[in-house]
Amino acid sequence: MYFELAKRNLKRIKVRSLLAIVGILIGVMAISSIGIFGESLKATVLENFKDVANEIIIRPNHQAGYKYIDDKDIMRIKKMPHVANVIPVLSDVVLVGYRDKKSYIAVYGMDERELSQMFELEDGSFKLKGSCIIGNRLAELASLRVGKKLSIGGKLFRISGILKDAGARFDINPNLAIFLSEQDFKKISDSGYDMLIVKVESLDVVGEVKDNIEKKINYREKKIIAFDLKLILDRINKVFSRVNSFLIAIASISLLVAGVSILNIMLMSTIERTKELGVMRAIGAYRVTIVKIFLLEALILGLIGSSIGSILSIFGGYVIDFILLKNVKYVFQLSSLFYIALGFSVGLATAIISGLYPAWKASKLEPIEALRYE
Amino acid sequence: MNVVELLNVCKLYKTQYYEVLALSEVTLEIEEGEFIVVMGPSGSGKSTLLNIIGCLDKPTSGKVLINGVETSKLSDKELTELRRDTIGFVFQTFNLIPTLTVFENVELPMIFKGIEKKKRQKRVMELLRLVGLDELADRKPAEMSGGQQQRVAIARALANEPLILLCDEPTGNLDTKTGLQIVDIIKQQNEERGVTVILVTHNPSLQDFGNRVVKLRDGRIIDVL
Repeated sequence: MYFELAKRNLKRIKVRSLLAIVGILIGVMAISSIGIFGESLKATVLENFKDVANEIIIRPNHQAGYKYIDDKDIMRIKKMPHVANVIPVLSDVVLVGYRDKKSYIAVYGMDERELSQMFELEDGSFKLKGSCIIGNRLAELASLRVGKKLSIGGKLFRISGILKDAGARFDINPNLAIFLSEQDFKKISDSGYDMLIVKVESLDVVGEVKDNIEKKINYREKKIIAFDLKLILDRINKVFSRVNSFLIAIASISLLVAGVSILNIMLMSTIERTKELGVMRAIGAYRVTIVKIFLLEALILGLIGSSIGSILSIFGGYVIDFILLKNVKYVFQLSSLFYIALGFSVGLATAIISGLYPAWKASKLEPIEALRYE
Repeated sequence: MNVVELLNVCKLYKTQYYEVLALSEVTLEIEEGEFIVVMGPSGSGKSTLLNIIGCLDKPTSGKVLINGVETSKLSDKELTELRRDTIGFVFQTFNLIPTLTVFENVELPMIFKGIEKKKRQKRVMELLRLVGLDELADRKPAEMSGGQQQRVAIARALANEPLILLCDEPTGNLDTKTGLQIVDIIKQQNEERGVTVILVTHNPSLQDFGNRVVKLRDGRIIDVL
């Protein structure tokens, strides 16, 4: 009955109730849509790092007098449990010439197969024997094309392929680099292995493998430094979560406005219904009963607004993702559900909190004063 | 047994600019089953008297006993329960809840009391038959005449079988004929059920309904007939 009464009281001021619902709806939609977008943004960024997340990078410890990683240690790491693959990388900065231009450029010596697994080609083919593959920025800067010949460390190499832009990486930055086969690299430089990319079977064991490597190789002296990209991933995760919280906080302002509008219409209701409230108190309604009726009204507004807002927020998230990320595949992930639930509950809570003061005020009316009110 | 006892009741209304002594040293005893008509010009304190008996207002000084209970010592919750269970109100302007149907308006005091649904519904229909409105149970107050609304208000006032029925100018907004019908229903309740009636009016033709007439002027009882 109280519910029915609350419902009818809202119907009596249809337009005002509708506006309050729209307010809540917009607030809930803003919170949930932005939450969904933030989560999609994070997922999109993290996806770029997915390939490298299960890597451990090992470098020689220069401070302890180690310039390279020796073959014995590489072999030991290869045999460790959970290690899927070890890619030893030779690197040096070498004088490279093309026509009349010269520059010192990072040159890597790697296995052809490993290279093809790590990067994609924009042009040409993965052929390293007697030839080289170059990064995409380098090709652009020096206007290089497949088939041209470069002088690398005094020897000529034909360009067999140009890599696609690989974005930011933490192991090898290929965009401005040249790749040779190990044999060819050794002809132009006497550098040893100064980086080891250790691929681990799964993300869960990254820490374990890293500890294991440090323990086994560094048992006497700190020969190598290992760091895993999972740590960086965690950082990115954290930063984006903060960005998301911030965005949601801004979106919450719209809900605050909605709350104020509910407060407003309900305060008007208490004034308009003063006499009615007096009658109810006179015929035996407790103060609590009056509070209950008013809170029910707020609850109904909140429930309707939040429900519609939640449904629309899926649509909202979809549109924002489509416009800003050009990609909607992350709209339908589990975290979206969380933000919808968050928007819904914050919307509902706002409505109820906004109803508290008018409800309290209505219940404080003295029946005699209220009855006299015209 | 006295259902209402007023002892030296004073009511002083104070504002920033003036003071009004609405009731001055009013002492009155009303026995169960009486029909009291309170008369007096406007401003004589009739409504204040009724509001104090109805526990809607508190006296500035003096004692009020309703059914043997001193009201000044009661909490808001207890006063609410006293009004709900012991007192029925009939107002000049009917004061039905506009969003509720006739049926629901009569049902409301019983909902406040926590009476179970089946009992409530049976009682509502009984009451509506009593006031001759059982056919209009689904109407809203706005769809009814003043006389019909006042009959609903009487049914509502009787819902929790009160000991005392307080009527504040119940015919004030009605034509003479309808007004008499309303007072007839009230009188009938008084005679058949023995409910104590206190009726405030300034219509002298209603004097005959009361077994006692209390005349007020300037907040004092000047005559009891």
